Order: sequence, then C-alpha cells, then structure tokens
Amino acid sequence: MSTDFKIISEIHNETLVLKTDGYINNTAGEKIVEEFTKNFSDGMKKVVLDLEKSKVVNSIGISYLIEIVEKLIENNGKLFFTNLDPTIEKTFNIMGLFQFAEKVDSIDSVIK
Amino acid sequence: MEQDFLVKKLSLQAESFQEGFETLIKCNNTNEMMKNFWHLLRGNFLVTNIYLLHKSSINAEWKIVGSEANIENVDQSLLNHKEQLMIKYFTNKKYNAGVVLPLSDSSYFGILIGCKLDGSRLTEFDKITLQILLQIFSSAYNSFLNQQKEKKLIFELNEKILQLNNLIDADIELSRYDKQNVLFDLAIERIVTLTNASSALVRIVNNSDNTIKKQITFPKGLKAEDILMNSYKIEYSFDFNEKHYLFVLSEKETRKGVSSFSELDELLLQAISRQVQASIENEYLLSQSLEKERIEKELNLAAAIQQRIIPKELPEIEGYKVAGINIPSKEVGGDYYDCIELGNGKFALIIADVAGKGISAALLVNTLNAALYSYLEFNLPLIELADKLNKLIFKSSPEDKYITFFIAVLDKESGKLDIVNAGHNPALLLRKNGTLEQIEAGGIGLGMLDFGIPYTGKNLTIQSGDKLFLYTDGIPEAMDLNEKEYSDERMIEFFKKYSDDEPAEFIRNIVDDLKKFVGGAQQSDDITSLFIKKM
Repeated sequence: MSTDFKIISEIHNETLVLKTDGYINNTAGEKIVEEFTKNFSDGMKKVVLDLEKSKVVNSIGISYLIEIVEKLIENNGKLFFTNLDPTIEKTFNIMGLFQFAEKVDSIDSVIK
Repeated sequence: MEQDFLVKKLSLQAESFQEGFETLIKCNNTNEMMKNFWHLLRGNFLVTNIYLLHKSSINAEWKIVGSEANIENVDQSLLNHKEQLMIKYFTNKKYNAGVVLPLSDSSYFGILIGCKLDGSRLTEFDKITLQILLQIFSSAYNSFLNQQKEKKLIFELNEKILQLNNLIDADIELSRYDKQNVLFDLAIERIVTLTNASSALVRIVNNSDNTIKKQITFPKGLKAEDILMNSYKIEYSFDFNEKHYLFVLSEKETRKGVSSFSELDELLLQAISRQVQASIENEYLLSQSLEKERIEKELNLAAAIQQRIIPKELPEIEGYKVAGINIPSKEVGGDYYDCIELGNGKFALIIADVAGKGISAALLVNTLNAALYSYLEFNLPLIELADKLNKLIFKSSPEDKYITFFIAVLDKESGKLDIVNAGHNPALLLRKNGTLEQIEAGGIGLGMLDFGIPYTGKNLTIQSGDKLFLYTDGIPEAMDLNEKEYSDERMIEFFKKYSDDEPAEFIRNIVDDLKKFVGGAQQSDDITSLFIKKM
C-alpha cells in the first residue's frame, strides 16, 4: 500500500542531513537506509536525521534506524536526531537508540 | 631438535588461532567473517586459490562468498556431502582438500583449498590445523549467531516495553477531555505504532441512515476502500448512541514484508478501541450531567421566581375566612393564586395555571402577576381585564404556552361575586344547603388565541355558610403508582364531606388525603387551591 513518505538529503560540511516527512514504517525505513547508503561516503562521520515532519514511527522503522547506527559505528561515525516529537523521543529512549545516537536541538549544532 | 621446532610451531599456531578467533567474532556480518576466514586459511596453508561457498540449506544451491570468483569455475562435485562434516583430501586434483561444514543455523559452509604455492600437498600437520580452524570458525559463527539472537531478543523486549508504555500513554491521553477533538487521530496513531500496521481506518456511521459521519485514514490521503478491501486486515467495532464505530488495521509490517496480524495485535486493537469507547461514553455522560445541572439551576430559578409572587399570607376579610396553598412540584410548574385587597370592601380572588413547566412557565406567571396588579388598579370590568390579559399573554408567550385563569371580585358586604373563568377548572361553590355549583363560564385560556372572542362574566352572591373552592388540575389529576387519578369525583366528595372545617384545616386535610392516595408516586404537577367561606 503506497504511503506519502518523503525524504530529502543534504550534505553540509561533511555532514549528511536527512529530512523525513511522514510515517516511518517499513517502506520509509528502506528509503532512509537507501538515501543514507547513496549519500554516505568515507570520511563522513556525522549523519543528522531531522524528524520534524514525522510524528509516527513503528518498530520496523526503528530497526532500519538501528541499521544506520550500526553502519556508522563500523565507520567510527555517529547518528544525531533533531526535531523529535515527544512521543518519538520516548519511543527511541525505550528502544535504546540514545545509547548509540544523540538528540540535538538543531542541525546547525552538528554542522558547526 | 625436531621436537623443539614442533613445540615452537604449535605455540605460534596457538597464538594465531586465538587471534583468528578474536578477529572472526568481531565481524559485523557473516560475509565479513567468511572473508576473514579466507585470509586465515591462506596465511596458514600458503595457498592462493581458496574458494568459500555457502548454502542456506542442504538442498539449496552453493553460492560463492568472500571473493568475486565465478561459481561456474568451481567444481562443485567435490563438495557432494551429507548432513555431517565432510573433509576430503585430494592427491590427483588441482585442489588439496574439500570441506563441507554444517553450521548451527542449518546452513552449510563449503571450502575448496587449492594447491600450495610450492605445489606440495597438505601435510598431516596442515590437516590437524585445518580441523582446528574449522572448529574455530564454527565457534565464531555460533557466537555471531548468538549475538544476533541476543540483539533480536533485546529489540523484541524493548518493543514489548514500548507497546506496554504506548498502551498506558494511549489510555491516559485518550481519556483526557481536552483531547476529545483529536481523539480519533490520537487513537489511530497509537494503534499503528503498537501493531506495526501499515495503514488504519476509523469510520463512524449513523445507524439510522448508514451515512458516514466521520472518517479518518492513516496515513492521511489513503483511500478508505483500499484499507477495507485489503486481505491482510483486522477490525473491531462498537455501537454507541445510534452510531457505529469501526476500527480497521491493514498490512502488518515486518522486515520481510507484509504478514498477518497476531492475536496480540487483535487484543491491542480491542484495547485502544475500548478506550476510545469509554472516552466517548464519558464525554456523553459529562455532557448529560452538565445538562442536568443546567436544568436543575433553571428549575431552582423558576421555583424562586414562582415563590416570590405566591402570597406569604392572605389578607383578612371581615365576615369571611380564607386560606390558600401552593405546593410546587419538583419540575416547577406555573401555578399561581392570590387574594388582593382592592379597596372599598372589595377583594380579588385569583387562581391560574400556566400550560407547561420550567422557567418559561414561571416567567409567564410573573408577567400575569405584574399585569394583573396594574390592571386591577384601573378598576376595569373583569371581561375587559380578561381581554387585556389575553392580548398581553398572547404577545409575550410562545405558541404552546397559555394560562388558565379564574378571577372573582368579592364585595364583602353584599357577598356579590363578579366572576370570569378563562379556561380554568370549574370553581366549586357549595351552598349551605348542600347544593354544589360548578362555575365554568368565561372563555378560552389567556394567550391561547387572539381572535377578539369576548369573555363572558358571571355574577353570584354567596350567603353565610357558602364555600367557594378554587383549585388547579394538580389536585384531581394527581396520580398514584398505577397512574390512577385522584379524580374530580373524589375531590368533590371530599369537599362536600369536609368543607365545614376551617378553611386552613380543610386545605391541609385535602392535601393529606391526596398524598395518601398517590402513595410513593412523585408529584408531577403543582398543587394549588384557594378556599373562602362566608361565616
């Protein structure tokens, strides 16, 4: 079943910024990993996931985010989350994502 | 000397095995592990052409791993095997050995080891080394699988904690009254998260005509029919207040694709739907409670208005005894009585009843009372007074409201009564000799119509020992628990039998008789009467 999930990627100062829009489920998770893989390059150490326009995430979506976290750890990189909805933040907390990724107030705070 | 060499070599090998094992268990995936194992084999045997193969089950096809070699170039017949570990050593082929290692996940690891750089075959020492390396790989692979299982278990455990947490949060959020406007959006977001549903639908249908009152899909923009027609779906519904509430989830997601929903998912859907139901019911009950509170306030106000205009005591009329009573019902009605001194030895005896109950009835009585006092000052003929009151009440009341009204102006000296009865119950005049007269003459109730139909009056004279009893329908129409009325007959009988009592006592007694008759039935209308007796 098609969904209206969208993702935009930008690279600023060797930091990959991924901005999502919509329900982060299986399809969306695949798209995020695909976008990450396409844009992530050697030497890049930081990836920021801006979830301002995503208010709902299910555990399949989270499993894709964990995949990105693992790939980044292999490359000595780190994942940052920004603009988290309180419900999503609580979800990530329970699922243990903040052990390996960090919540930041803005994209700029990572790019600097 | 040879022994020393062997010890040194074994010691070196042991360290190499340890390092090899550590390298393998640090791998992030099986491909990486096999690739590292490939290096380990090359380092130990000084062999260039080593092929690693893997197949997911005994009947699956071999696939090359760890290198980009073409499977067509590999002689797979060398790896014909059964379920157990197979190690074959070749002496006349381009390979030194062929190995098939069964792995703990029911997959198989195949190894073809080519010739050594110097063209020699594997020594006995190499063969032992190979067996140890296979054991190391098997242990590392098991360790890797266990790590994966552990990660999966932790993820699943966290997922269950998340589900429980979401369920509790959803219960709290859905029951909050300030979230009523987003109740269904909240519920739908929570339930898709809880169940990993790909999409969801909430549909509210009016039971009376099957029209859709409200419909929400998640994600927004999806067609409801696509969700309803999906073969992977579960649903739950309930009815409340003439509406049908339907909750549908479709396509449970997994990393491997869409699957059927589990029993747990159905329970979660039920739990959220029931919480929504409870929230809707609570909201309804709250609104009912507020409405009840509002009505009670209105009734209290109506009662206060009514009681303000009911006389607290009646004037004394020389040569007569007068008593009156008004017992308002729980649902405030619009009964009214009064005895007004007009001067020149004249007194107006009034009783009235507004059709309907509540604040509007009480306000109408208030209007009547105010107008009556004004008009009585002008000493108008009663038929003219009744006509003016009719016009006023007609203009100031809604269509379904009117007042039955009885007025008698008494000249205390002569005992003459000037009477108009505007649609009220007939007044009862009991002569001293026991003759009963029912005074009905007059016209329609005040405010009923304004066609200029004239009221007609009546003149009577009461003599010593005569009694006039005015009442509202709250007395004859009072009902017992079997809905049997007190009746005009019983009231008249009581009047005839006990009217010689003092007026105040008579009124007390008839009210007692009435209460005894109705028993435990609730008073549904005001009880009002006015009794006058000429001494």
